[in-house]
Amino acid sequence: MIDAELTAFLEQGVGIHIGTRNERLEPNGARAVAVKVEDGGSHLVVFVAEIAAARLRRDLESNGQAAVVFGRPEDERSCQVKGVFVDIRPAAESERPILEKQWDGFLNQLQMIGIPRVSASNWTIWPAVAIRLKVTTIFEQTPGPQAGAQIA
Amino acid sequence: MMVTLESLATCFQGLIPSLFFTCSSDGIPNAAYLSHVEYVDREYVALSFQFFNKSRRNIAENPHALVFVPDPDTGQGWSLRLKYVRSETEGAVFDRMALRIEAIASYCGLKGIFRLRAADIYRVLSIDALAESRASESARMMQSKLDPIFTVKALQDLSSRIQRADSLESLVDSILEGLEESFGFKNSYILIPTDQEGVLVTMATRGYAAGSVGAEVRYGEGIGGMVAEARKPIRIAGLLRGMLYALAMHKAQSEPHLTRLARQIPVPGLSNPESQLGVPLMVRGELVGVLCLESEVPYRFHEEDKASIELLGGYLAIAIQNMQWQERAADAGTEAIATHKPPAAVSPTPTSGSNGHERDAARHELVYYGDDECILVDGEYLIRGLPAKILWRLLSIRETTGREEFTNRELRLDKSLNLPEWKDNLESRLLLLRRRLEQKCPAVRLTPRCRGRFAIEVACPVTLSAQP
Repeated sequence: MIDAELTAFLEQGVGIHIGTRNERLEPNGARAVAVKVEDGGSHLVVFVAEIAAARLRRDLESNGQAAVVFGRPEDERSCQVKGVFVDIRPAAESERPILEKQWDGFLNQLQMIGIPRVSASNWTIWPAVAIRLKVTTIFEQTPGPQAGAQIA
Repeated sequence: MMVTLESLATCFQGLIPSLFFTCSSDGIPNAAYLSHVEYVDREYVALSFQFFNKSRRNIAENPHALVFVPDPDTGQGWSLRLKYVRSETEGAVFDRMALRIEAIASYCGLKGIFRLRAADIYRVLSIDALAESRASESARMMQSKLDPIFTVKALQDLSSRIQRADSLESLVDSILEGLEESFGFKNSYILIPTDQEGVLVTMATRGYAAGSVGAEVRYGEGIGGMVAEARKPIRIAGLLRGMLYALAMHKAQSEPHLTRLARQIPVPGLSNPESQLGVPLMVRGELVGVLCLESEVPYRFHEEDKASIELLGGYLAIAIQNMQWQERAADAGTEAIATHKPPAAVSPTPTSGSNGHERDAARHELVYYGDDECILVDGEYLIRGLPAKILWRLLSIRETTGREEFTNRELRLDKSLNLPEWKDNLESRLLLLRRRLEQKCPAVRLTPRCRGRFAIEVACPVTLSAQP
């Protein structure tokens, strides 16, 4: 579902947030650190700081619905990937460079719009968990009348 | 410690994107970026409703929402649990949000393209600090270094500068100088209304390249024009983000719309502004001018700055209006002068200037276009409107009678200029004219002689011709 061009965008180091909901249909969310597209684009692994994942775990394990939004501050390009929960596990030490590289890319993006890296110097990225989702739909989210159009 | 919505005021500037989480009635969550969260009062916030997107459809089905807002000063992220209450299509909150959208769009040359359908009002049910986005002490320290010093001493300093000013010219210059030296605002300008309805002109600038005085701004154009139209202050933080958002929204439009409008004199402006603050200078409901401040720092104008500058705006407006009245009252005591001297440096028998200003020995050709009330000097735009009519009148009298000294009073009585009987702002027009001449045609100068009296000095041969 996620093609090569979109994969490059998602994994380049942009702003990422994941949303879930509880049994009362109240939304929950967390900032994510990085993502990895797997299985030819059918699955997405979302890396979230362990301290933030606690807010999502119950929702993911009870109803499994998730939405991940990506935004590139440089040009406001944005898209949203929706999926269903597959599993959650601690991120492996071998995956840490992926998180650090994408996080660094995101901080560079913030700097490009005038937000100094020091603003995010205390944000937690490790230890992290890996939330694996099966991708169901993808939506264009760049601001404008086309926002919300389904692209896959 | 209980966190209140008021204490998060700095988070509502739209500097770092906010996140908006919703859920449909069939249980599918949605996450989207928000351009701006507006503080309403201690219990409510407002979100802009511009498009019928998925978030908005979800809210119509399920009023529960979650918003993340980051504090640009410290980096601390906050989570606000919300419940939709109502949509407002008029009133103070709607106007404030619409104005912000229009100001950014206008800056990009896209005014009128974006429409705020409604300000959606949400009740804030809870506020929590985001554990993964904690405040950074070094960010706080860095930000505190940028804080302007709105101390009593700084205010006293500005006040005494204003008190010392003995003319409109020294008053407006001392205001901008004081804003930089006492408060650190390096880039600023003052716009005043022209004789043309809905048009402002820059009278004084600081921190920009020379040549911006006399730039015309229509109501609704850029931050100054928006402030004049709305008669309300506008503050934009993270202007670059706003512009990127506006341009992303409007990418399909043709390229010419994406550039700022070409104009005869460029409006002063930084090439990469990040923060802008515009304040109307009002006295008893009358717009005396607009004060605009700019910065390349994304979040330069804090809550306290905005409040302080607004207060200052009222004070400055009174100072400017008082000076205009004072100069006008002084004019009443001056008599018209009838000194007859041979015309200096005016064709058809050009000579050198009468006051020794020989720095520009070239001949200048001044053409007055009557239909446009506009003067071109050597083919380049000089000035238009009432200041142009005044200059043409002065040069014409000088050419025919040789007289070089004039009084403000006789200009007021001159039927051909058709100055309004009340509130003619003649001193402002003369100041503007003087500054434009300094920039574009320094061989022709208006030199104050004493209060209400001035001379026109011409330092090189000039040719005058009038066109329809």
